[in-house]
Amino acid sequence: MDLVGPAILAFGAAVVGSLGGLGGAILLVPLLVVTGMSPTEAAPLGLVMVAASSIAAGPRQLTERSVNHRLGVTVELLASSGAVVGAIVSGYLSETFLTYLLASVAALAALAGAGRKGLRNLPDPACVDADVGERVGAIAGAYRLGDDQIVPYRPRRLASGLAFMSVAGFVAGSAGASGGFIKTPAMTELMQVPTRVAAATTTFTVGVTASAALVIYAIQGRVDVETASLIVSSSLVGGVVGAGVQSRLAPAVTRRLLSALLLVIAALLVARA
Amino acid sequence: MTPDRTPIPAGDVSTIRGRIQAPVLTWLTRVVIVVGVLGAVLPGAVGTGVATTAVGAVMAAPLLRVTWLVFRWSQEHDRRFVTVGLGLLSVIALGAVLSALGVGS
Repeated sequence: MDLVGPAILAFGAAVVGSLGGLGGAILLVPLLVVTGMSPTEAAPLGLVMVAASSIAAGPRQLTERSVNHRLGVTVELLASSGAVVGAIVSGYLSETFLTYLLASVAALAALAGAGRKGLRNLPDPACVDADVGERVGAIAGAYRLGDDQIVPYRPRRLASGLAFMSVAGFVAGSAGASGGFIKTPAMTELMQVPTRVAAATTTFTVGVTASAALVIYAIQGRVDVETASLIVSSSLVGGVVGAGVQSRLAPAVTRRLLSALLLVIAALLVARA
Repeated sequence: MTPDRTPIPAGDVSTIRGRIQAPVLTWLTRVVIVVGVLGAVLPGAVGTGVATTAVGAVMAAPLLRVTWLVFRWSQEHDRRFVTVGLGLLSVIALGAVLSALGVGS
């Protein structure tokens, strides 16, 4: 495959992925496989896209103070362990297994995207601007909701959450798809972290997971740097374009469309396998 | 799903506000977009070197971000999360060492 094809796919995946809030790699890797690339070649390219998207989203989320770094690094300890194991064992897995794994991941992401829920934690009128942010020595914190409301939160069921994070890391490390579609629902539904904090923290952590796996792929000589560098640029530009379009579309509609697209991709992958 | 109200968490609010991270990441994004395209279009060893730089920067940035956080947490005397952060970096380093030793290839 030449450089232009993956670059166009990366741009399109970044635009569509950012509309639905799932990230582009979950679309890019299956699309690359459907168009003829092997899963072992596509996985590092997906991880490059994940890391690039994490960097691009960082400034806005840092300014909003919606990232909980202490929570992120804590869950990342297990996620990166899973990613390291996934990247190492991916060399032993058959292409058919990886294709089925990708199809399952795409189908699960479709369900996770379609089933996302609304507000869980309530604003506290007693909170002031100085309360916004994470707490020293804890994974609790508070975030800003709208212009004048502040919502305190305290993550729960840490052990169960960490178990899901290790699975998300393994999927990212072996298949190259961001584990964000597992991490964000695990944080919101299981650990009861507010959606905005969970999404921002996940965006930070998927970059670390991707780096952990990419280090291994790079040492193994499995990263095609020319294709990867163009995917970096394409996905960053696509992410910016997608973020601009996102504000004009209804989130529920785009999530349903993205879920439908992921189900089609999953079906194509199963047919190809 | 029943919304509930969590008490205001105890403890000091972290002083990490992203005042350094945010502008650094903004500039990195801009530079990497340009370097990434150059790496793909420039021919020969120069192109490969530029492409490697773009991919290397994207790969290293999240890990440098964790390293920065560990440094800032140490300034806040948050030993618990300094330990967690160092543990995370150790896991990634262990993966790299295992891979360099040929495990999984």
